[in-house]
Amino acid sequence: MIDRYQNIAPKGDLILLNKLGEHFRDRSFLHINSTKEGGGVAEILQRMIPLMADIGIDARWDVINGDDKFFDITKRIHNAIQGNPQKFTKSMWDYHFDVNKRNLSDLALEADAYLIHDPQPLPLIEFRENGTWIWRCHIDASNPYGDVCDQLIRYCKKYDSAIFSMPSFARAMGISEFIIPPSIDPLSEKNRELSADEIQGTMDKFNLDPERPMILQVSRFDRFKDPIGVIQAYRLVKKYNDCVLVLAGSPASDDPEGAEVLNEVKEFASDDPDIHILLLPPFSDKDINALQRAATIVMQKSLKEGFGLTVSEAMWKGKPVIGGATGGIPLQIVHRYTGFLVRTAEGAAFRIRQFLNNPVMIERMGEQGREYVRNNFLLTRQTRDYLSVWYTIENGDRPMFNI
Amino acid sequence: MANTVKPFQFRQCINIPKSTGYKANSLKQLRDLINLVSDESIYHHTYQYFLKGNLLEYTSDFAQWVGESLEDRALSEQLSNIDPYEYGNISALRKVLINVIDSYLKNFPEPRDALPGSEFYFLDTSAIIFNSGVAARNLAEFLIAIQHVDPASIYFHFFEARSRLGQSVDDFSKWVEEVLGKDDLAEKIRAIDLFMHNIDGIREHLEELITEEVKKDMDSIGQAEQ
Repeated sequence: MIDRYQNIAPKGDLILLNKLGEHFRDRSFLHINSTKEGGGVAEILQRMIPLMADIGIDARWDVINGDDKFFDITKRIHNAIQGNPQKFTKSMWDYHFDVNKRNLSDLALEADAYLIHDPQPLPLIEFRENGTWIWRCHIDASNPYGDVCDQLIRYCKKYDSAIFSMPSFARAMGISEFIIPPSIDPLSEKNRELSADEIQGTMDKFNLDPERPMILQVSRFDRFKDPIGVIQAYRLVKKYNDCVLVLAGSPASDDPEGAEVLNEVKEFASDDPDIHILLLPPFSDKDINALQRAATIVMQKSLKEGFGLTVSEAMWKGKPVIGGATGGIPLQIVHRYTGFLVRTAEGAAFRIRQFLNNPVMIERMGEQGREYVRNNFLLTRQTRDYLSVWYTIENGDRPMFNI
Repeated sequence: MANTVKPFQFRQCINIPKSTGYKANSLKQLRDLINLVSDESIYHHTYQYFLKGNLLEYTSDFAQWVGESLEDRALSEQLSNIDPYEYGNISALRKVLINVIDSYLKNFPEPRDALPGSEFYFLDTSAIIFNSGVAARNLAEFLIAIQHVDPASIYFHFFEARSRLGQSVDDFSKWVEEVLGKDDLAEKIRAIDLFMHNIDGIREHLEELITEEVKKDMDSIGQAEQ
């Protein structure tokens, strides 16, 4: 499988992956999270496990099971880490622990390294018997609510190390804390190369004219993604340049606020025939891929964002991206180099106009963006980094290693 | 054909950032923390800035944060003018950084704080150095390798080497001088102002200099054959 990344990922990443694979040959690396499907963690693990296995590591992936009560508690934990007010009782924390304990009979905790993803399986550290234990926090923990982090840190401290996606997400916990951003898989359905026919198929399906400049934002219908701001920017641009706007996202039928925001967006878009609001069902990866490839400019005008990997997805397709200066977006958009960071609808409109009037800039920034993603945000880099952390921890956590 | 020349083995490094737990939301805090954090952290935010290889507007994370998050353009310019490679050790560099900030604070004692979410996070790194699988036995092979190795390899041999070897010496010029005996080319390579280029720029300069030297060698072989 690693061979499929030749000429896609940086050569050095593949060499180091192979070296680490050789070093850890036949040793076991166990990922544990709480779901096999849905969400970014499962998406990336589905791709990462075969890659690790291919370089000789006994890579495994287990999930912990829980009932509705457990997942209600862990959802509250998740929300509180992100700063939303939540109430917790001692019995909730006890239940969180108990469910983890109950999972022990189903989990084979016999590995050389453990990567425990997010707060759901965090208490498993209490049953540690062997190996290197690393906690991977995918959540924005920069402004947690109340004492949620204190409750979690008592577990975190028992790990050998923790990994966060961004420096601002990390908390001082007295253990080594590595910063490893998430990644996209260039070979997945969402990011693989598509033929012209495949792209045209999607354009036809949604009745989009490939001859007209297309501004695209792919995101949930969520106020933090600022779809209204994107429409405002489009309207400012429209006075000067011909273009169509495509807002593509999931219908969010299980999210009352999502449905509300969608209605607001529809109302605000009014009956403008050049605004296309596309409700994509789950697993629309190929259509998203095609839309990103067909777009002239991609927006991610978020007001608040976790990491915002749709930015890297678009950049990988050679598109310049205009994004909100929030969360992980500034890590991906190097202002004026791979796109533009904006804070207002007016700022977004100005940058869209700049692009539409300068196709050479579109091409240049798009190409630079693709290279930036190649060097920083591909699955091979993330896998390399996880294994490097394992190597580092096992070899004494020094500042420098020669291998 | 037997060849006893010691080949140039291209290596490269990756750096995985680590949180130090320190963050600054004002210039004064930045100054105090520059004074406090480890040498590795100062090294990461200054020398390793060049590994980013994409921007020339700033030359360190400190200058970038002061310029972008505090919008203190004048101080940002002054910080950007600090060439870390000019200083023999981190202590000297740390002192210069603090002096520049102190003298700015004397004139502007109350600069604005960073907005929430725009704090400066002090990091250090864990580095792994490894063989890149590319080696060159002569200048022509070396030229091809320079054109194709990863940017991280150019960084390791040209930028990182200066702090490893000291005395403004890099791995490339050292090999060219010591193994190929090409002192003039070594001098030219050392004369490239690394502070004024990103990695792509350094690669281009190296390509130019080595291409010129290879052509010269080919001409002299041609003339000798006549």
